[in-house]
Amino acid sequence: MNHAAPAAPAPRAALLPRLSFLRLSLLAAIVLCCASWVYILNVDSNQSHSFFSAETWRRGVSFLKDLAGAGSTATPAFAQASAWRETGRLAYQTLAMAVLGIGIAALVALATFIFGARTLMTGELAPYGASAWRALYIAARAFFTLTRSVPELVWAMIAVFIFSPGILPGAIALGIHNAGILGKLSSEVVEGLDPRPMRALRSSGAGRFQVLLYGVLPEALPRFTTYLLYRWEVIIRTTIVVGFVAAGGLGQEFRLAMSHFHYTTLSLILIWYLILVAAVDIAAVLLRRLAR
Amino acid sequence: MTPRFFESRRVLTLLLLAALAWSLTAVSWRGDLIHSGGFRAIGEIFAAIVRPELSADTLAIAFRASWTTVAYAAAGMTLALALAFPLGVLARSTTHQLAASIPARAFLAFFRSVHELVWAWLFVAALGLSPVAAVLALGIPYGGILGRIYAELLQDVPQAPIRALRTAGASEWRIFWHARLPMALPDMLSYTFYRFECAIRSSAIMSFIGLGGLGREIQLSLDDIAFGRMWTFLYFLIALVLIVDLWSTAVRRRLAP
Repeated sequence: MNHAAPAAPAPRAALLPRLSFLRLSLLAAIVLCCASWVYILNVDSNQSHSFFSAETWRRGVSFLKDLAGAGSTATPAFAQASAWRETGRLAYQTLAMAVLGIGIAALVALATFIFGARTLMTGELAPYGASAWRALYIAARAFFTLTRSVPELVWAMIAVFIFSPGILPGAIALGIHNAGILGKLSSEVVEGLDPRPMRALRSSGAGRFQVLLYGVLPEALPRFTTYLLYRWEVIIRTTIVVGFVAAGGLGQEFRLAMSHFHYTTLSLILIWYLILVAAVDIAAVLLRRLAR
Repeated sequence: MTPRFFESRRVLTLLLLAALAWSLTAVSWRGDLIHSGGFRAIGEIFAAIVRPELSADTLAIAFRASWTTVAYAAAGMTLALALAFPLGVLARSTTHQLAASIPARAFLAFFRSVHELVWAWLFVAALGLSPVAAVLALGIPYGGILGRIYAELLQDVPQAPIRALRTAGASEWRIFWHARLPMALPDMLSYTFYRFECAIRSSAIMSFIGLGGLGREIQLSLDDIAFGRMWTFLYFLIALVLIVDLWSTAVRRRLAP
């Protein structure tokens, strides 16, 4: 770019540090972090024993020993083939819950993301009767905000009021939350698209649906798939958490093992959890290569 | 666009649809998928959306719980930064520091492979119920994610200035401080602010295992089947996420080149 040389900066700017929005934000973030630590350490020191005491260390070591099965005469769960099979079945369910969750999220997001793209719903590319489409745009954005602001776990707590415990309420909870995330991200992809090809299609007589089909979707869908696979990596980590309340897969067993002090079963569940996470991470990398 | 391009995309679509079909077979489709009171519960939950409970007591609890949620998130992010920066710097793959980069990557991968709530439960079971446990539980997986992204950002900076410095005889350390870090810093800050928004949500659900905060209040209201109160706390959570979202978007817009 060929800008003229900027005028000499005002002398005051050199003397006072510029109080820009960024500086203020950084300062606010630092103050917030310090205040939070003061609050947390204060609460902690009012407890019967502080986190920073020898007691914590002793407890931590004995917990690790319990996980390893030391000090108990029983065969640890991770040394029994039957326990591996049993938790393996739960891991299979957990994987299914994750896939179903991302499937629901993808279908809901695919059905709604076009309505969340400002550039398509308002302005020159918008269909006639713009106010109705504008209302639809606002509704889509409100839907994304509501669904993604509420964490999966809370959706799961609500879902078990409606559905019988099992994979389904967990998958629905994962689906609702991630539909909001995927929908918002994909709408923003559409908004960021170069408008010139769409305008060209439009001015050469293409209908609005044809603009969508040939101008928007071929550009947006590959990005959508990439986001989908990224979210899948996150979802597999969250499935166990949703299972705490939705009573499906490894999460439920984790909760039971925790409350019955079956610590070696707990280690076995954690091993399966790490296997699942690693497997999904690798699968997502391979699938992303296909998406390119 | 080559035909090959279409082929691999089609394979991917088929694979994803097949996975979805497989996952549907794992659900036991019995008659009682929605339990007896289910439909009434849907009605009550949605009716309560427009009737949140706004008594002074509830609002006071909501404000206190919001602060706890923000405090866990901010303190957790501080810890995450303290973990992510050194490990991220070590983990970026350069030929001359493989010995440091492989273990650093392994640590980051391990930190982020376990969900923050699972960490929280393990810490509480192992070490006792303390807000510091919540901070650790949030800081470790977030440190893992931030560290990975930092490593990538530090690696993907434009190579020309770095080559120029190297030809001029600058040490790797100087190149890092004077070229790599300054070039990657805006993106690193931008991503950190984005993660802070996620940390608010994560911190809200921490309370599920007994640590205070908005999630705890939501859970208590659900235990009382007080849907109106639940929506009050949910609205507080949504507002909190929105505020941080707006803030981080504003910061990121100014950091973008």
